[in-house]
Amino acid sequence: MGAEQEQHEQEQDDDTMNRGYNLNDNVDILAEILTRLDGRSLGVAACVCRLWSTVCNRDTVWEALCDRHVVGGAGDPGTRSVVAALGGYRRLYRLCLGPALDRLTCSGDPADPDKQGWAHLSLSLSLSLFSIDCYERLEGRQRPASLLFLCSKPVNVV
Amino acid sequence: MGPYGSDSTTVGSTACSGPEIDAILAGTGYGLRTSSPCHVANPDYTIPFNPSDVTTWVDSMLTDFNSASTANLHLQPIPATWTDQICSPLNPTDRTPSHALIAQQRKEEEDSGIRLVHLLMTCADAVQRGSTGLAAGMVDEMRVLLSRVNTLSGIGKVAGYFADALFRRLYTTETPLSVTDHEVLYHHFYEACPYLKFAHFTANQAILEAFEGYDRVHVIDFSLMQGLQWPALIQALALRPGGPPFLRITGIGPPSPDGRDALREVGFKLAELARSVQVRFAFRGVAANRLDDVKPWMLQATHGEAIAVNSVLQLHRLLTDPGTTPAPVDSVLEWIVGIRPKIVTVVEQEADHNKPTFIDRFTEALFYYSTLFDSLEGSRPHHQRQMALAEVYLQKEICNIVCCEGENRVERHEPLTQWRTRLTNAGLHPVHLGSGAFRQASMLLTLFSDEGYCVEEVDGCLTLGWHNRALISASAWRVPDADVSPDDSSVNNCINSNNVSGSDDNRMSM
Repeated sequence: MGAEQEQHEQEQDDDTMNRGYNLNDNVDILAEILTRLDGRSLGVAACVCRLWSTVCNRDTVWEALCDRHVVGGAGDPGTRSVVAALGGYRRLYRLCLGPALDRLTCSGDPADPDKQGWAHLSLSLSLSLFSIDCYERLEGRQRPASLLFLCSKPVNVV
Repeated sequence: MGPYGSDSTTVGSTACSGPEIDAILAGTGYGLRTSSPCHVANPDYTIPFNPSDVTTWVDSMLTDFNSASTANLHLQPIPATWTDQICSPLNPTDRTPSHALIAQQRKEEEDSGIRLVHLLMTCADAVQRGSTGLAAGMVDEMRVLLSRVNTLSGIGKVAGYFADALFRRLYTTETPLSVTDHEVLYHHFYEACPYLKFAHFTANQAILEAFEGYDRVHVIDFSLMQGLQWPALIQALALRPGGPPFLRITGIGPPSPDGRDALREVGFKLAELARSVQVRFAFRGVAANRLDDVKPWMLQATHGEAIAVNSVLQLHRLLTDPGTTPAPVDSVLEWIVGIRPKIVTVVEQEADHNKPTFIDRFTEALFYYSTLFDSLEGSRPHHQRQMALAEVYLQKEICNIVCCEGENRVERHEPLTQWRTRLTNAGLHPVHLGSGAFRQASMLLTLFSDEGYCVEEVDGCLTLGWHNRALISASAWRVPDADVSPDDSSVNNCINSNNVSGSDDNRMSM
């Protein structure tokens, strides 16, 4: 009796695994979930498998991320077309917003309300910096350097 | 390794006599004798590096950095005996020094630094009084002192540049930089520190606010360079509520020496960026060596468009020795007012380097550039190449202030208060730079560095400084009653210009 029950349960488990819900079959839901991640986690998620990497490369995912961190409506249709023309939200985050947010969070006391306000980085400033980078790339420069100042690790000047 | 440094491992000072100094200097490649500097004025004397070939010099300096060799670009490998005689900061990889030793070294360095500054002042005073022999002797003394001080940072580095500039003033003529070299250095200075970015962003904010409501706008840039200021403005206009206007940019710059049309190339790039964000755009380049060569008709100001005049570090070049009138700047200001711009943005160094007496200028410059170099070191370490080239850019400014006189001296910086008077006398009214510009500048600086930089608002103008010393100022001005109705596009008086000798004429529209 006990052995039969166990075997039945085992078969039920097998069935679930064969017919059950797989996130990878529902890419839109996967994308929805990924839009709620922060930048670093998105980067990690992109390394999971090829499918996840493709989904993480969608600009809409990064657009949602930028929108959350920026005061000024990163998701307006007008803004969207400009950002797309300048290189896309993923690039905007990678080059400007991400490093800037890292810089802001580790430079200030997290409890300081002023600094927290600045974590919502002004959209216009990020886009200005982004446009300069895009402009430098037009020249075909291998490594546009105008945003390098954002990428270096903060150094405490005593 | 700085130009005067060594990697000696010994500590302790030895009093060096004249012949010993000669031996030391001969070991480093200098054939200069302390007792007879006059023969150096001989035209056969070859100066250590060719100031007109900046990029090669910097490349050679940086390959030395990369290969970590002890030989300097123009100096032979230092013979062992020489290093024994010169004291210098302890090489940290050699031995673990005691605290007392470090403290003593620091004290010695400080003393040497103070002595250096004192020597610089005395030498400058001698130069002013015309006693070149005395000045030359002091320059030699400074070279010896510089070998004892750390010339890679702090007062040693700045003192080194100023001592070098004094040397040039005494013995050589300062050749101006070629156009391409100047652009390269400017670009690296732009990337290495926030001063130019601050200037561009603040000016753009003022221009953006002035252009509100206008469908046709025209920006006149007094110094186009690579046009790094304008992508941000183009992007901001693209996102402006109500849609972007028709943007014209007129870029003024020196003619390219090698026949290629640099202004036109920059214009192409700006046009491409504008096209990608769907801003109607037209570019025009005006090639002129000096701003007072530019005449208003070359700019083709059209009735019905809002004009912005943008001058970043250009107006001070038009000044002359105080007291001599008329200065070219007055005629330029006159035609600026004449074309009735909506806004004039002026960015200038916050320093007084146009004083009539040499020693005053020298002192002011020494303190100004010390602060500036200090801020370069204080910010985040970037590419070594960027930093080195940014320093060369500043070094050229220093040389111009110290070595040149009359027409050759173009770095005639004047403080904001004097510019206010000058611009007000020309008929311009100040425009308050709003809190938006202030917040944007503060935010930009937080990104650049944690501490040290400070933005201040002074009577509606913004200044950026390092540790409470203002180094650069940005202000905005307008012409009273220059309000052209935004919808007045019925009258369209385009001034037709044919090519006139003395100016290049490019037109490109998208």
